[in-house]
Amino acid sequence: MASSAYATPFNRGIDFSKPVFILLAAILAVLVLFPLFWLLLYAFTDPARQFTLMNFVKLVSDPAMRRSFGLAIGMAALVGVLACAIATPMAWLVARTDLPYARFVRILVTASFVTPPFLGAIAWEILAAPNSGIFNILYRVLFDRPTDDYLFNIYSFAGLVFAIACYTFPYVFTLVANALDRVPSDLEDASAILGAKWLTTLSRVTLPMVVPAMLAGALIAILQALTMFGSPAILALPAGFHVITTKIWSLFQFPPKLELAAAAAIPLLILTILLLRGQKWILGRKGYTVLGGKSGAPRVTELGKFKPLALLFVFGILCLTVIFPYAALIKTAFTETIDASISWDSFTLKHLNFVLFDFSATRLALFNTLLLGVLTATVCTAISLVVSYLVARKSVMGAGILGVLATAPVAIPGIVLGVGLFLSYANPTFKLYGTLWILLIAFMTIEMPAGYQQLSSAFQGVHPELEEASRILGASRLKALWQITAPMLRTSVVATWCFVFIGTIRELSATILLTTANTKLVSVIIYDLNESGDLGAISVLGLMLMVVSFFVVYIASKMPLGAGRLQPRG
Amino acid sequence: MAFVELVGLTKQFGSLAVVNQVNLNIEKGSLVCLLGPSGCGKTTTLRLIAGFIEPSGGEIRVGGKRISAPGASAPPEARNMSMIFQSYALWPHMTVYENVAYGLRLRKLSKDEIRVRVDEILSITKLSALAERYPAELSGGQQQRVSLARALVIKPETLLLDEPLSNLDANLREEMRFEIRRLHDAFRYTTVYVTHDQSEAMTTADLIVVMNQGGIEQAGSPEDIYQRPESEFVARFIGGTNIFRGKKISADTVACEGGLNLRCGSGSFAAQGDTAVSVRHHDILLSEHKPTASDTNAIAGTVARQIYLGSHRDYLVTIPGGETVRTVAPVSVAIPVGQQVWLNFPPENCRALAR
Ligand SMILES: Nc1ncnc2c1ncn2[C@@H]1O[C@H](COP(=O)(O)OP(=O)(O)OP(=O)(O)O)[C@@H](O)[C@H]1O
Ligand SMILES: [Mg+2]
Repeated sequence: MASSAYATPFNRGIDFSKPVFILLAAILAVLVLFPLFWLLLYAFTDPARQFTLMNFVKLVSDPAMRRSFGLAIGMAALVGVLACAIATPMAWLVARTDLPYARFVRILVTASFVTPPFLGAIAWEILAAPNSGIFNILYRVLFDRPTDDYLFNIYSFAGLVFAIACYTFPYVFTLVANALDRVPSDLEDASAILGAKWLTTLSRVTLPMVVPAMLAGALIAILQALTMFGSPAILALPAGFHVITTKIWSLFQFPPKLELAAAAAIPLLILTILLLRGQKWILGRKGYTVLGGKSGAPRVTELGKFKPLALLFVFGILCLTVIFPYAALIKTAFTETIDASISWDSFTLKHLNFVLFDFSATRLALFNTLLLGVLTATVCTAISLVVSYLVARKSVMGAGILGVLATAPVAIPGIVLGVGLFLSYANPTFKLYGTLWILLIAFMTIEMPAGYQQLSSAFQGVHPELEEASRILGASRLKALWQITAPMLRTSVVATWCFVFIGTIRELSATILLTTANTKLVSVIIYDLNESGDLGAISVLGLMLMVVSFFVVYIASKMPLGAGRLQPRG
Repeated sequence: MAFVELVGLTKQFGSLAVVNQVNLNIEKGSLVCLLGPSGCGKTTTLRLIAGFIEPSGGEIRVGGKRISAPGASAPPEARNMSMIFQSYALWPHMTVYENVAYGLRLRKLSKDEIRVRVDEILSITKLSALAERYPAELSGGQQQRVSLARALVIKPETLLLDEPLSNLDANLREEMRFEIRRLHDAFRYTTVYVTHDQSEAMTTADLIVVMNQGGIEQAGSPEDIYQRPESEFVARFIGGTNIFRGKKISADTVACEGGLNLRCGSGSFAAQGDTAVSVRHHDILLSEHKPTASDTNAIAGTVARQIYLGSHRDYLVTIPGGETVRTVAPVSVAIPVGQQVWLNFPPENCRALAR
């Protein structure tokens, strides 16, 4: 008979999913809705909190404000165009031709992806500032020009567009290259067999199929450009113009005009939502699903005599986006001044010394940054894990709402969130302004969508029956999650953690509004040092940031992740 | 009293009743097959028993204790059941040994006891040599046996299987079918087995429950289901059959189209409207000459198709009503297409179906 010593019901844990659901829903709602509520409240009221539309009237009637909006939109649109112009040919060369070193090119593009744009902007300052820029100095020396002559001026509208495009084109590149990887080659063969020359096939079949990917990437690039604070603050302010984000920031300068700042954030919020909707619509359209790829290796075009030209193009782009900027940062970090020649004599550890030992703010900032990075990554990953579990397994009624809440911050630009959080927590009730808590809240909100999206797609790869098998054998829901699902998700969890960590330690847009002297972060220090023109110290800090990022990725990839045999059946 | 009882069990997804008013009693130690076409609610019923989903109506009792009812269901881990999943659901990050030991570890058994029990079940399921392998390194049949071992090692009161053999090839399926029955006979836990394969059900089950559109069509022993179907659906679903339709003209005779009168040896007749008569393919006698016996239960037709199958010949015969009758005959009976043949339906093989 089946009866045995084990037949009696044994001790088991309580099922926590309902309370956990309620707790998470509350946390996420507070994270997302609270700042939005205060933002809207301030935008639509006067200082006495009476309803008014005056804030918007003031915005619209202020010519400087109108100009900053116009410039921001124009700048973002141009960034989108430039990013497409750089990235699409490059993606095609890498994905579909016999271009040498294609893998290497992809890796370098990823490197420009992980460069914080504000750091890139500073690097370009070093390279192309009208007076002290390395290129301009070389130009004057080589062509014997007067000291006030220059070739490039990065402090200009064009310079700003260029510097931002350098760090947003990877969005287009990645999407288009992936799409090209997946265009089934039979589609091209079908065109060729009908008699089309390769150029016809390329322009009539291949490229039209990746247009949605290109547009989607362009919209993300535009969105990034529009909501970015660092690069415009570094390059546009010296050039004497504002964009939306810097304008919002300036409204926070003394005397703060909080109502106006809130009102100015609203159009940015709406633009972001529209851009994201547009991107979703483009990617969701039927044409794109053809790229769900299956058959055969992608068709490779032989470049023949154009190979050197293609290489030159790709190499040129990489010089502009990765090689020159990093070379400039490294040089500046280890020589006395920007214009010092490169030799053993001019090598110095002065800046390193200054940053690590003399400059009092650094160590606190480093500590704060690492602390917040670790905390945000850990908490965010944990919450995302549980949320994506509840959503994926629909284990509680209404679990879907958690997913919506966790994804919502994607539509809130950092600076807008900064305004909202300032209004929410910098008041006498919470008194969180000037503490690390407000920054933690900001980072968690900003990183939640990325964390959630990564982990929920990981969950979709774990068959629910694997958990059910554990439950029917006697494990509670939490136990099954811990013993079965968690180990299988370990790789994704580690990846998510790194992703959030790296995203956090480079955040500037929200931080700039929420930081104080006691809660400085490395990104803010870099920004402050830029104001005072200490480029050597900035270069050291920027490189440190990058080294930490790469180090984290390296450690994570080396972590023993158990028996990684995650394919259940042959 | 039955061990597992489903009482008026109902599950709705939205407005659709996927399981509808199911009543079923399962005796302790018996092996019950839920059999039915795809989408009829077998998996849903099984998952209701396992406690993965909660019923919208009715209840489930085990050993007289209510374990499932709307709003008051015990979680799966509290039911002392085991389940074998269609995907096997072996944990890829654990070895065979760890997979099997998992349920015992949850029960906080001592290390030694776990080792003894796991070794025992691994040898019963012929897996001892593979204990340290990972699931990805096993063949389909071996994975299947691991999932069996993992389910059995905790000595469940109830074992649930959801189409456990559907991922195996035909030979292995045959072998595992007997394996499951053998293990069931050895341990005699109460077993609910879901399948859509009738021969699997016939060879393993004590009780076959034929389901259709969320309800039970008929429950009975394999013999009952095959020989005494109670509805046209069951007759058609289990083993091939010919269905004739007509009006009842006397106590036991149904007049079908084309002048075929069938005297039925068993079954029930519709009070009004048509009665269906089921005659299995191999229960029809085929000959070139008119049978001598009587004028009922026989009709002449034309051979429309004849296929040689080695052990027998498979015939399609068109009869005057326009219907095509399928039957089998010994290899020696070779009648060419187009020729007239006589079909004889012995009354004891004709079953009247009211539904
Ligand atoms: N979670 C759900 N939500 C909505 N409908 C469902 C859900 N689960 C099952 N169904 C529907 O219930 C019906 C019965 O499903 P079930 O899985 O029980 O069928 P089945 O008999 O096991 O079929 P199969 O032999 O194909 O496995 C199907 O029509 C299915 O679409
Ligand atoms: Mg099923």
